Amino acid sequence: MHLHVIKRDSCPGWKKALLYVGAVLAALVLGGILLLALGVDPLKYYGRMFTMGMVGNKIAYRVFENYLKVFVPLAITSVALSLAFKMRFWNIGGEGQFILGAVAAAWVAFLTGGVMPQGVALLLMCLAAMVASGLYGLVVAALKVKFGTNETLLTLMLNYVALYFLMYLGETKASWNILLDPKSARPVFASFGKMVSFPGIKFGKFSLNICVILTFVVGILVFIYLKYTKHGYEIAVVGDSVGTAHYAGMKVNTIVLRTVFLSACLIGLAAAFKVGTAGILSTAITDDVGWTGVIVAWLAQLNTIGIFLVSALISVLHYGSTAAATTFSAVDSSFANMLQGVILFTVLAADFLIRFRVVIDKKGEK
Amino acid sequence: MKKLLALMMALVLAFGLVACGGSKTPAPSNEPTPSTQPSTEPSAEPSAEPSAEPVALKVGAVYINSKNDTAGYTFAHHNGITKAMAELGLDVNTQLAIVDEVPEDDTAVRSAIDTLVGEGCDIIFGISFGYINAFAQAAEDYPEVIFSHGTGYLSNDTNFNNYFGRAYQARYLAGVAAGLKSLELGNNNLGYVAAFSTEYAETCSGINGFALGAQSVNPDAVVYVKSLGAWADEQNEYAFAEELINTYNCCVVTQHCDSAQPQIAAANKGVFGCGYNSDMTADAPSAHLTAAIWNWNVYYRTAMQAAMDCAGDASKFVEKMGTPAYYGGLAEGFVDVSPLTDNCAPNTDKAVAAVKDLIVSGQWDVFSGVKLHVAADGTVTTEAAPLMDNAGNEIVAAGGPSVEDGVITGTMNYLVQGVQMG
Repeated sequence: MHLHVIKRDSCPGWKKALLYVGAVLAALVLGGILLLALGVDPLKYYGRMFTMGMVGNKIAYRVFENYLKVFVPLAITSVALSLAFKMRFWNIGGEGQFILGAVAAAWVAFLTGGVMPQGVALLLMCLAAMVASGLYGLVVAALKVKFGTNETLLTLMLNYVALYFLMYLGETKASWNILLDPKSARPVFASFGKMVSFPGIKFGKFSLNICVILTFVVGILVFIYLKYTKHGYEIAVVGDSVGTAHYAGMKVNTIVLRTVFLSACLIGLAAAFKVGTAGILSTAITDDVGWTGVIVAWLAQLNTIGIFLVSALISVLHYGSTAAATTFSAVDSSFANMLQGVILFTVLAADFLIRFRVVIDKKGEK
Repeated sequence: MKKLLALMMALVLAFGLVACGGSKTPAPSNEPTPSTQPSTEPSAEPSAEPSAEPVALKVGAVYINSKNDTAGYTFAHHNGITKAMAELGLDVNTQLAIVDEVPEDDTAVRSAIDTLVGEGCDIIFGISFGYINAFAQAAEDYPEVIFSHGTGYLSNDTNFNNYFGRAYQARYLAGVAAGLKSLELGNNNLGYVAAFSTEYAETCSGINGFALGAQSVNPDAVVYVKSLGAWADEQNEYAFAEELINTYNCCVVTQHCDSAQPQIAAANKGVFGCGYNSDMTADAPSAHLTAAIWNWNVYYRTAMQAAMDCAGDASKFVEKMGTPAYYGGLAEGFVDVSPLTDNCAPNTDKAVAAVKDLIVSGQWDVFSGVKLHVAADGTVTTEAAPLMDNAGNEIVAAGGPSVEDGVITGTMNYLVQGVQMG
């Protein structure tokens, strides 16, 4: 008996959807088996996870606000990464770009907060973050274009440069370091939340932060940019084949530089949203979105709408499993990471089945 | 883990994208809009929970590492909380809610606190220093809940306190044991693997307490300190201990870090050691003398009892505790030394007991203008002498009182005479 793997010409949409849903369900079943082994009722656990503990919760509105705080940076970062990935530029530097953006936004917040009108200060924070992050990404793109360096390695390594820079800022008391709290004997980041922060729109007790709306606006703009503009078309062509792009007379280098800058800029925007809502820096400010964003972008196959869907789901997974883990002493928060990994593998398997057929060739049997 | 996944994804993308060029949008109507109205239950009174039974207390905790850890800082706190609950007759399975692996990030900490408040917790403990702002803010936003923050310095008059302990007292006792050992061995060099040195009053006071204890026995004792620059770094914890032994010929190695690696290094090198946080005899039976340890359950029991005494009125918590800053020591049994092992020099038990008596009775404290002299037979005498730092500055005049708690918890930033950075 021989197993043949044959490429599918096409796979109907309903079948694809079924396979993906099946993949997620399979992951949940695998996670459920682990939960059973830990002596936890999987249905109860998943129930709490998917409702994020909001049922019967007197401060459910806060839970949803907190959930959106997780969702916003993840969605924008994933969308941003997809821009570069579409061009097959492997930007693994989301973490580093996010950190530089956050530092820039916080710095501007301390300079402008209370001095300038709130709206102007927020705008300047966003701009500073976008420029800082954008340039951090642009450096790598320029090196690639000029010297053919490997962008995966460079962006990856620059993550650690940025992280240690942030740690240095957090531990170094000096007159120039306006990020630290002068009143604390130990070096700690100071809060600027009372001077400047993104406002929310009140719906009863629930406050919808303006960043959430802006996130969807960014999503729509990127969707249009990729789908209906010349730039978007160029990105797709460069991603498919650099040779074709050259042959078609496209300025590949310019396209690469422009797109990577834009990708990193958007990550900076995500950082500005995060730090402008938190009102303070921390060494954990990224919440791993630079890494999770890669996973989200991939799971959504770089589709902008898909990215919003997957970001929403991954955020539920992360936020919900924390809420669920509080009540089940055997399970700690790491369960979310494990489940996310399992989902990745099952979706990978589904993806394989969508693109290929496995045929059992009985003639080979003797 | 996540990095690995991310890298794998990049690889998969690199190879996989070619094939799925045709894949297009799933139904756009599926686009997630936050249309699900958050269930804003109209004015649910939070303070309306009547706690008729005295044991109807729901305890919440925010941890920096996993609640399933089997050693280290979070483990020590978790142990303390569960032990205190058992002592008070509270059920760990139904009356304790934990959010663990929470980084020192205001948004993350606040989100954890919101989760615990949503669970209906009456008192919420936070164990890491960097939780400080989020706890202070939450105490304002939720006046009906008690907040208790470990290692911090913020508090209010009603529902928010902080707690820490006089670890330096236990350090002093460990120093006495180390000093006696150094006399026995005829070697004045002691080693100290510290997370930080003068950057944090917590590490600084520990180093000073240990050095003064050792000097009370052996006035010529020198403590060589190597600073890790991190609270936990197992590889360097071992390497630094080894280096202290090789470079400075240290005969006793103590530590202020998470794992027992320095003790293991001491055992492998055939010298002796004093552990920290918990009894490390099992990790290094041939080397371990005694360890400065924390009995966190002592605080947690006190705080939970105070919370129960509040009978539902969280604003009375600080009043019931008697102080907004709990700072227990040997007297409360909050810190102590683990049982002395057979590796200790003769009469160590006698000397340690005598010094402990002086501290517990309140007659004497470590950072004062009075020095103790511990003789080799374990008898203790006192002498008025100034407390000097290692740059020759006088910190406390001869006969002066011990430096204030606030200095030891917050601003101590000098090393005493006889301490050298290695």
